[in-house]
Amino acid sequence: MNPVKPVNPYVLGLRRGAVELRQLLRSRKDFYSYLTTPLVFLAVSYWRSGSDGPSGTDGSGDALTQLSLAGGIASTVFMFGLMTVPQFLSGDREDGTLLRLRGVPGAMPAYLVAKALFVLVTMGASILLLLAGGALLLHADLPATPGQWLTLALTLLLGTAAVVPMGAAIGALLPPAREALALYMMPMLGLMFISGAFAPLRNLPTALQAVSSVFPLRWIAQGVRSALLPDSAKALEVSGSWQHPQITGVLLCWALAGFLLAPGLLRRMARKESGSVLSERERKRLAKSAY
Amino acid sequence: MTATTTPQERAAERSGDERPGGEPAILTSGLRMRYGSRDVLDGLDLRVERSELFALLGPNGAGKSTTIEILEGYRRRSAGEVTVLGQDPARDDPAWRARIGIVLQSSRDHGRWRVGELLGHLARYYPDPYEPAELLARVGLTDQADRTAATLSGGQRRRLDVALGLVGRPDLLFLDEPTAGFDPEARRDFHALLRELRDERATTILLTTHDLTEAQQLADRIGILQAGRLTACGTLAELAEAARAESEVRWSEPDGTPRSLRTADPSQTVWDLHQRLGGPIPDLEVRRPSLEDTYLGMVAATPLTDPAEAA
Repeated sequence: MNPVKPVNPYVLGLRRGAVELRQLLRSRKDFYSYLTTPLVFLAVSYWRSGSDGPSGTDGSGDALTQLSLAGGIASTVFMFGLMTVPQFLSGDREDGTLLRLRGVPGAMPAYLVAKALFVLVTMGASILLLLAGGALLLHADLPATPGQWLTLALTLLLGTAAVVPMGAAIGALLPPAREALALYMMPMLGLMFISGAFAPLRNLPTALQAVSSVFPLRWIAQGVRSALLPDSAKALEVSGSWQHPQITGVLLCWALAGFLLAPGLLRRMARKESGSVLSERERKRLAKSAY
Repeated sequence: MTATTTPQERAAERSGDERPGGEPAILTSGLRMRYGSRDVLDGLDLRVERSELFALLGPNGAGKSTTIEILEGYRRRSAGEVTVLGQDPARDDPAWRARIGIVLQSSRDHGRWRVGELLGHLARYYPDPYEPAELLARVGLTDQADRTAATLSGGQRRRLDVALGLVGRPDLLFLDEPTAGFDPEARRDFHALLRELRDERATTILLTTHDLTEAQQLADRIGILQAGRLTACGTLAELAEAARAESEVRWSEPDGTPRSLRTADPSQTVWDLHQRLGGPIPDLEVRRPSLEDTYLGMVAATPLTDPAEAA
């Protein structure tokens, strides 16, 4: 018997995440699909800018461009956490990846570390692309002061903590079928329209405002706006202020709920995977695709 | 794990366990699995020795998959004792997991991963893995090492699955319908690989199959699972005897007429013929009952024997 090497699932998880990132760069199709979202947000910011074009000749960014960019950045965090993460879990359950890993010692925690790395890197790159693309192509303003940079960093950090673990919990709960995933995506997309990311919240009925205030996107978007727009812009917010304590409070609640729910639900999900469950699912999938 | 021995263990000791290692690789007694009010497994007693190649046969719905999933630690049983490599599989502890290899029925996981990349990565989770390149060569996928798993043909994908099941150098390998979709050459190579694992690495192999010829060629012992019970278990000869399957004796009469006779005692028949024809028997052929004859005889005659008698 060889001496048993201790296997560190976290190191293996980082390695796995690195391989998956390399695969993203290798596959043109995947790469472009990840590039699409930030490019769409940049395009939206361009079209929604003032009538004389996005660039003020005085060098200051157009307010509508800034608002749209902030909405794009917040939506990126939201989409990665509550849409991409559940999609990963659903897909990896559906194709048997998780079942394979269930049979490998230590591979489940490594999988989660890998996915976290992958999501953080791709999300970070998308946000950088939005900031840099906004500044270079649309002459948008970056955060003006160190304080605004800090606000941006903290908002993104809290926003990520609020949506990524919750996304994992939801992914673990969703039935691993494409239909279920599609059905779940619809209200998520709806949230993007009522959260003030692109259209001002105060133009919406109070009931919709109340709904969107329960979900994290409204608060992430407000936090990002407070980092990208001059302080005077807070007059345009519903309450007339940036509400930093409320942002922190709501996002922390989501983060806490996610961190409490996700581990148990992920364990339960892993426990339910088995060969017969998978082949039954596969049989149904093939039966459906036969129509 | 317990100090007292079960009746099954004592019986196995009495029947003369010629294999080394003493403790069996798999031991279940009174294994029961109930879904709602239906018993999928109804008191299954199974014993697989170390470095044995054991084939589990049975009609669909007999409980093969449930049995194998309980043994793999993927499914919790309703009742009964189960020990796999000296441990209860329900504990699912990583050191135990590292000694188990699993090849599932069909898979399309990790489609974006290159073959070599995937095997190399998963090897890292095990304390004493195979050299990935060596293993790829052994299953004949060296040329496909840089292809992504999604682009492999069905047979190549199956060979990758086998490599992934083996990469941790398991002491116990579970194979669910391993050669479905193999061409004859791939199947022959695969059988050679399994024999090599058993003979040189003392790997215990439990396989389920619908291919009776495969079980007959490969397995040291065969268990037949019917309606959640092991209705027969033993070597091919033992099974044939339990099923009272008959051999077929074929010969030609002196005038050239071909004849055949089914008999439980072929040597007596041959002796009688020899006497009657007064010398060598033209075109003599004795066909022992194949596993197929035995199996079909058994499955048709459900329930044939009590599992306790058949064992």
